[in-house]
Amino acid sequence: MQFWYFLTALTLLSALMVVLSKNPIHSVLYLVFTFFCISGHYVLLNAQFLMAVNIIVYAGAIMVLFLFVIMMLDLRRNMPDSKSNLTKLAGAILGGTLLVILVAVMRKTQFPQFSQMGGKFDTQTGMVENLGQVLFRDYLLPFELVSILFFVAMVGAVMLGKREAGERNF
Amino acid sequence: MNSIIALSLFGIANLFLGFLNNRKILLPATLAFVLVALGLNLADWNQEYLWFNNMLRTNNLSVNFASVILVATFLVVAVSRGFGDDEEHTHPAEYYAIMLFSVVGAIMMVTFENLIMLFVGLEILSVSMYILTGTDKRNLRSNEAALKYFLMGAFATGILLFGIALIYGATGSFNIHGIEALVLTAAGGSAPALLYIGIVMVIIGLLFKVSAAPFHFWTPDVYEGAPAIFTAFMSTVVKTAGFAALFRLLGGAFTGVYGTWIYILYFLTMLTLIIGNITAVYQQSFKRMLAYSSISHAGYLMLTATAKVAHTQSSILFYSLAYSVATISAFAVLMVVAETKESNAEKTNENFDIFNGLAKNNPLLAFVLTVSMLSLAGIPLTAGFWGKFFIFSDAFQRGIVVPLVVAVLMSAVGIYYYFKAIISAYFKEGDVPAIELKPIYKITLIVTTLLTIVLGIAPDLVKSIF
Repeated sequence: MQFWYFLTALTLLSALMVVLSKNPIHSVLYLVFTFFCISGHYVLLNAQFLMAVNIIVYAGAIMVLFLFVIMMLDLRRNMPDSKSNLTKLAGAILGGTLLVILVAVMRKTQFPQFSQMGGKFDTQTGMVENLGQVLFRDYLLPFELVSILFFVAMVGAVMLGKREAGERNF
Repeated sequence: MNSIIALSLFGIANLFLGFLNNRKILLPATLAFVLVALGLNLADWNQEYLWFNNMLRTNNLSVNFASVILVATFLVVAVSRGFGDDEEHTHPAEYYAIMLFSVVGAIMMVTFENLIMLFVGLEILSVSMYILTGTDKRNLRSNEAALKYFLMGAFATGILLFGIALIYGATGSFNIHGIEALVLTAAGGSAPALLYIGIVMVIIGLLFKVSAAPFHFWTPDVYEGAPAIFTAFMSTVVKTAGFAALFRLLGGAFTGVYGTWIYILYFLTMLTLIIGNITAVYQQSFKRMLAYSSISHAGYLMLTATAKVAHTQSSILFYSLAYSVATISAFAVLMVVAETKESNAEKTNENFDIFNGLAKNNPLLAFVLTVSMLSLAGIPLTAGFWGKFFIFSDAFQRGIVVPLVVAVLMSAVGIYYYFKAIISAYFKEGDVPAIELKPIYKITLIVTTLLTIVLGIAPDLVKSIF
């Protein structure tokens, strides 16, 4: 339990630093750290497979891509205009309202206790073997159809990405 | 279900046909593929099946919705003319393949039994639409529209997914019948607050896809920027699939907590009707007017999608069919007329004034345009009239008076801007040269016009099936 508090505090702190740090590269590095912390939460939830996938896909592939893009963009030259105070105020009010609603909902919601769920604890729940069985038996159809989604995205990326000769018009 | 498998394979087959370097066979092949899928879809008629561990349910309702979607797809493909002979800038094999894949997503959205299937189907449909919007790569408007649609759509999908997650957290089930049962037992007051927020978020996500106000801001820009043929596809197939999904959730899974969302939806219905119709009046571009008209038609459909009465589904189906057929013929006329103007001007012109004097040399095109406009406006003896009639009488029987009054008033406003096109075709001076139409194009125009008139005279032909 103490470890959970420690991890949560670390996650929140690094997530805050993503937003607060001035240098975008620091932001990305803090985001990578946040992903590692979230992976730690997955381990505590007995979801080892998700932990591995989270590190490989998010912290590994996507964040490195992110870092490359930020380095290539040369942000010092293309600094975005800072927002006006009115925009900041509106954003703060909107975000704050959503936060209040979500916190209120979480407080009102009665999550089932461990003892109410039968009190059985299956150590094998998050293992790859069980996950694979669920994925390829119960969720076979969505799993297969997601491939159509990726295929469409791939076809579109190749088609739209090819350079087009000729004049641009409006 | 079989149509989903068939369409997935046909899409891949279509990509391979692209290797043959023969543009002529793609159009007939795609038409044949859609027809086969329609046949497979109709084979499920009068049978109730659950597929793959309660992932999909096919019954008469889903067969009807999928048939409307496939008929609309067939008509759009038939007026696509193989995307021209411009070898360098069009890729017909990819376009047709993506269209077939997007129909897979649309059919998943009407047959889903599990919220995961809804999400995957919606994503397949949306991603295909983002791509098709940006296919006119040299046109800056098209690029802008694709990017705008992608960013906003991704956001809406995120909201939908968050809603699904919250509903799962509250009920512990992705299955819509499981959710329905749990919602009914929880409706006594013990429902966790997570459920309500989840329901509202799912509704927001779907309303974005059907372009209801206040989530409609992307619609005019995207409809204007996308090539006209894909705008026709987008405004018919996506709308039908979106309303099927919305109806199955509102009329099924979420009925237990009717009281929490119904007034929000009434309010949004009125907002959609007013914004769509009033803004359409001020448009100079015909395409943009059709975009606002599609927003206002979303408003009419929302009026009835909230009900769980036995004949509601037939009203939605009839309205979707009438709207799809009329919209496709309007876009088909716009496409050929805009092309004659394109050659003598750099800028593509899709304003109302391109129809000036259309009737003089092209009486068929002017007549097709007139019938489709009358049907969209809801004038008697067209299919659109009966669509509106069924929806208004449904609303009247359920006693929802204020939204109904707004809807009737706004459909009167609609007549003004639809008649602008008819007036410029018949009464304004202009020179549109006689346009040579390919036989398949001509036949499609005649079929859509006849369908609109026949359904306007004898709506029971189709209504009794739905």
